[in-house]
Amino acid sequence: MFEQTRQANRERSPADLRDARPMDESPAADITLVDPAYPPSRKAPLVWAIGAAIPFLMLVPAQLAWISLDRQAGWLHASAAVLTLLGIVAFVVVAPLWRYRVHRWEISLAPGAPAVYVRSGWITQERRIAPISRVQTVDTYRGPLDRLFGLADVTVTTASSAGAVRIVALDSEVADRVVAQLTDIAAIGAEDAT
Amino acid sequence: MSLPGGGSHPAPWQRLSPRMLLVHPVHEVLRQLPLVIGSLFLGSATGNPWLVALALALTITVGVLRWFVTSYRIASDEVQLRTGVLQRKVLSLARNRIRSVSTDARLLHRMLGLAVLRVSTGQEARGDSEFTLDAVAADQVPRLRAVLLADSLGAPERPGPPGRVLARWHPGWLRYSLLSVTGLAMIGAAAGIAYQAGATAALRNSPLAQSGVDIAQRFGAAATAAAAGAVVLAASVVLSVLRSLVTYGNLLLRRDAELLHLEHGLLRLRENTFDMRRLRGGTLREPLVVRALGGARLDAVMTGVTGIGESSLLLPPCPAGTAHAVLADLTAKSDAATGPLRGHGPAAARRRWTRALAVPAVLALVGVIVEPPVWLWAVWSGLTLCCGLLAADRSRSLGHRVSAGWLITRSGSLERRRDCIAGAGIVGWTVRQSWPQRRAGVATLIAATAAGVKQYRVVDVPEELAWSVAAAASPWVAHNRWARRSTR
Repeated sequence: MFEQTRQANRERSPADLRDARPMDESPAADITLVDPAYPPSRKAPLVWAIGAAIPFLMLVPAQLAWISLDRQAGWLHASAAVLTLLGIVAFVVVAPLWRYRVHRWEISLAPGAPAVYVRSGWITQERRIAPISRVQTVDTYRGPLDRLFGLADVTVTTASSAGAVRIVALDSEVADRVVAQLTDIAAIGAEDAT
Repeated sequence: MSLPGGGSHPAPWQRLSPRMLLVHPVHEVLRQLPLVIGSLFLGSATGNPWLVALALALTITVGVLRWFVTSYRIASDEVQLRTGVLQRKVLSLARNRIRSVSTDARLLHRMLGLAVLRVSTGQEARGDSEFTLDAVAADQVPRLRAVLLADSLGAPERPGPPGRVLARWHPGWLRYSLLSVTGLAMIGAAAGIAYQAGATAALRNSPLAQSGVDIAQRFGAAATAAAAGAVVLAASVVLSVLRSLVTYGNLLLRRDAELLHLEHGLLRLRENTFDMRRLRGGTLREPLVVRALGGARLDAVMTGVTGIGESSLLLPPCPAGTAHAVLADLTAKSDAATGPLRGHGPAAARRRWTRALAVPAVLALVGVIVEPPVWLWAVWSGLTLCCGLLAADRSRSLGHRVSAGWLITRSGSLERRRDCIAGAGIVGWTVRQSWPQRRAGVATLIAATAAGVKQYRVVDVPEELAWSVAAAASPWVAHNRWARRSTR
């Protein structure tokens, strides 16, 4: 389920490169970025857990059937069962809770440097920031589970395939508001783009 | 033929060069070679030789038809290509999206004075969606190139002053391919094909195999194996050097003001025109074997040009000085290629060492348990030494620098690369930390850009420095709501 808001191509115009402001040889000051403010929807961990549980709902009966059909190789069954159990604990219990603690998002519309900033992940965590002026499209995505629980993902793409910012598991109305905001400000940017 | 100026009158459809009537059938037969060979077998097996004639006639007809059904036109706002014998297809490209035009002429094309013209928009285009005029007369190419690039580049209608030559191929460049593995890969591929075709079965009882066995018996297995290895190695070197010569011989890199023009190839001539205004930097690649001989290769980082492979190549392995000079010229920054870098500190180095020594450590553990023969320990020591050297080199490579709006980052050993990226071309930043990285207090900083390989990494930079590096390259990072200046 994609809704896409496309705006004018915002690739770098030739002049930009030459106007690049010369900076000092070394970073002038040590800069750190504080985390973005908003957590995803409260329902997010539940939805993530259900999503992760679905494959296990097929794996576990398959394993049970295997055990009942083939009674030899007990240690093989045991190790498979332990692996499955570990998988369930890691992906259904730990990952959703951990991700909920990590995931944060915020959109700054301040006139100076409006940007989208997202923190995500669990074992591997990342913070990603993209300036609004470089935003190409704003998509929302609602999978079947998302629709059941009224959630949506917002993907903000830039000209780089490595630069897409994903805000996952937002409440639907929040997602709609975010999209509206982003397309608004993007339209403003398009007007005074050179 | 007049160029479409006014929008009222639709541009006429044009055919490719009529000389393709000769080329298409040949290519078609080559493409359908399995079919032709199959019909040959089938024909001889069933005693129907006309089967071959039928298959040949069919493929040749298709080849001839291809010319009649392919046409293109250059309208005021878009270019279109109509193809397909059975499935009709029209490919349209907006003219202002055209980013680069390259040409390519294989042997047959060259003999007939033809060139394949490839139009690229910077989107990933593969196979069917590729806009390729195969082929037009070679003397038409400069005019077509100017017309196609006119919208996006504003290329001058009149030819400007002849440009500066940035680099010209020199026979000395061949020495960097001496240690290249391309020859070995070619031999391997040939052997693989022969094996697939059942050559081993044919060889098993042949006189050739018999004489091989005789030789092995006379001189001993080890000596024969060594000799065979030496022959393969020599063949590999010769093939590598030959391939390098054929591909890059007469390479010429020229800069005409805002256009970068690259042409190379002795048999298959390739020409590529890059727009300097889409240049976002360059990547200096120094694979270990090339670096050991004092060489380097250079890739362009451009929007609209894929970052990997042939399309972004500016210089094949060549003397490092040449590559450095060209990179400095392109980035207008004299120390882009050679300037000192800021190292990433002991934590990053420790991670290199841990990784490199993990395999020897595990092997040692296994060795302690199973107690292998002593000579295996000698091999192990050699391996450990190599891993240690690798770790040392990898640690030494790591570094970055931001100056005058350019981000320079270096990493790797066997495939060491130094990326120089224009800060203005960076459209987003990511700071990524895996669990071990968080424990070590380092982070991988990823600059996202529309150019080249789309992401350029500063590997294992101390985590407190990560955002400072980003902010130095892209001032907007320092000016947003979340930025905090710390005083240390």
